[in-house]
Amino acid sequence: MLKRANFKPSRNTLENFGIATAANGTPEQPQIPDRLCVKCPGCGKMLFTIDVQKNDNVCPECSYHFKMPARKRLLSLCDEQSFTEWDSTLYSKDFLSFPGYKVKLKSSRLNSRENEAVISGYGKISGSPCALFAMDGRFMMGSMGCVVGEKITRVFERATQQHLPVVGFTLSGGARMQEGTLSLMQMAKTSGAVKRHSDAGLLYITILTNPTTGGVTASFAMEGDILLAEPGALIAFAGPRVIEQTIRQKLPKGFQSAEFLLEKGFLDDIVARKDMRHTLSHLLKLHEKEA
Amino acid sequence: MFSKILIANRGEIAVRIIRACKEMGIATVAVFSAADRDALHVSLADESVCIGPARVQDSYLNMPAILSAAVTTGAQAIHPGYGLLSENAKFAQLCEECHITFIGPDSGLIAKLGDKDEAKRTMRAAGVPVVPGSGLIDSDATALAAAKEIGYPLLVKARAGGGGRGIRLVNSAEELLPALHASAKEAEIAFGDGACYLEKYLNPVKHIEMQILCDNYDNVLCLGERECSIQRKHQKLLEESPAVCVTSQLRHNMMEAASKAAKAVHYRSLGTIEFLVDSDLSFYFMEMNTRLQVEHPVTEMVTGMDLVKWQIRVASGIQLPFAQKDVRLRGHAIECRINAEDPENGFVPSCGKINLLHIPGGPWVRFDTALYQDYTVPPFYDSLLGKLIVYAQTREEAIRKMQAALAELVIEGVSNTAELQMDILSDPSFLDGSYHTDFMEKREKLC
Repeated sequence: MLKRANFKPSRNTLENFGIATAANGTPEQPQIPDRLCVKCPGCGKMLFTIDVQKNDNVCPECSYHFKMPARKRLLSLCDEQSFTEWDSTLYSKDFLSFPGYKVKLKSSRLNSRENEAVISGYGKISGSPCALFAMDGRFMMGSMGCVVGEKITRVFERATQQHLPVVGFTLSGGARMQEGTLSLMQMAKTSGAVKRHSDAGLLYITILTNPTTGGVTASFAMEGDILLAEPGALIAFAGPRVIEQTIRQKLPKGFQSAEFLLEKGFLDDIVARKDMRHTLSHLLKLHEKEA
Repeated sequence: MFSKILIANRGEIAVRIIRACKEMGIATVAVFSAADRDALHVSLADESVCIGPARVQDSYLNMPAILSAAVTTGAQAIHPGYGLLSENAKFAQLCEECHITFIGPDSGLIAKLGDKDEAKRTMRAAGVPVVPGSGLIDSDATALAAAKEIGYPLLVKARAGGGGRGIRLVNSAEELLPALHASAKEAEIAFGDGACYLEKYLNPVKHIEMQILCDNYDNVLCLGERECSIQRKHQKLLEESPAVCVTSQLRHNMMEAASKAAKAVHYRSLGTIEFLVDSDLSFYFMEMNTRLQVEHPVTEMVTGMDLVKWQIRVASGIQLPFAQKDVRLRGHAIECRINAEDPENGFVPSCGKINLLHIPGGPWVRFDTALYQDYTVPPFYDSLLGKLIVYAQTREEAIRKMQAALAELVIEGVSNTAELQMDILSDPSFLDGSYHTDFMEKREKLC
């Protein structure tokens, strides 16, 4: 067999073509940036971020649903150029001087490039007009403070005024503890708005995404006329670890997952992200009043 | 200039690229699959990294492994060779993100030219002749009107078609609608997309391609043509340059069109523009290949330029130091591909140990291969054993030289196509240069 040792090393020096290369200064050293790959929590495979993003943030191997940025979700769901954002300039203040809250707000804004943990607005899904909101997990885990509560309340108030159905994507760690009791008050406030919207005979569809927990579950997330969820979503008031530690019992397998809740009758259906637009447009069409 | 390059390929092309790097003083990193531990490119390179098991999907197409190999060895650029990842826009994009130079055009260009429909539209807009055809057909009436404009015979093609499905040959107006409906139905079932269009049917036709070389400063050189009409199942067997049928006027027009095509997309790196040339010497753009071609040595012989070295140089940002007027095409070159296939036995692939190897020599005889005595050809990869290239002043002399060289070539242990190549060289229609893309089909019918 021919081996490397059979060949002599070349004595040629690097050719200097007499022309400087175009790159000025030292070129960047080859390296694999952290954002290039992600590990799928579902199947454990290493995936290229671009493959996951192209596939609506769903693992191409095992269909694990990664979290989806709220803006991307709304833009990909609505008809092209049909989405108009509402209340984009509202942002939270640290009125309780809660330790570390200011820093957290700032880093969340930088990280998510959003002003708050929820984005709301008006859009059309396959031609059906509706009011929409979607929560963003990159902003303090989608926790509900005064601004989130206010924005959601306004969505329902506007929708009631304009006779629009509401489609909402929930994702939250619960009430924002940095805003104390005022954040808990948002549960009642949003629920009131949902009730008035409902009394006006209007449709509200919620899509519970991974994870929907705490005060959000206990208020507007579970108040939809039609409750849908994404596959594998954790839907809970208190999370499984908290319950296990409190009651000192092992929980059944798949407890609090969307599939478990569907089986127990808490949900109407589980819809994969790729079918979401189709399902929503179908539901909206069915509930449209004939002109 | 890069000081280290990783070669993401195997076989003769990996060896070819390593040789160019050695001349240029560039350190080389070979990657290999577990089945290629004894391959020549692994021994020739300065460093080598195993990137996975034998299956190409797990090794030579394993992008994370190849990128990791490049980063850990500190290679500044990756040469993809031909085939495998060479026209993979995603791989080129990943290289860009890792600050590794992909030796080829950027990912955007690969994607744009890889979409055949978009490439044709771009070329048509740039004024490059494209096979006359219709847009997508939406009704029987538009089909008939479009067919009248194109003229018969024509082809009905499905937009999503591939592998010969959704294609119908139509000789007259009566056959059009049944063929259209059949194609639409077939494509609907096979690809879920029944959209069809019409295209002029060219027959007999020659496959002639133009080599271009572009730097990052919009300089475009056209390095003449290659005649690649001798094909079997769309696999080229023998290539030559210049083409017999191409007159100097036609060559001038085709070179202009090729340059125009390259400029229209601001092409960078080495590329090939494939044309179909019909019997009245009209030529039509078919597709553009954004990589080094298997048959590049033919052009190297007639231009005296080392294409691999120039591809590496322009990728490192060097400006082409010469212009189109400095490109001189001289003499005649022929390349015969020697594949590990048994032509006597339906071209079944062959593999095994090379018991005896003799490579022909003499002036202007070149054999590009990764074979050596006692090497075992693995069964997992493509069947190319080597490429025999000869160069002479005239076509006649080149054919004689090739005949002599083929007779001298000895590869014992695996069946190969050397004998078939000798038969092709003595075929009357090859000798007078009148052959078309159906050459092999006609020949097989006679046998």
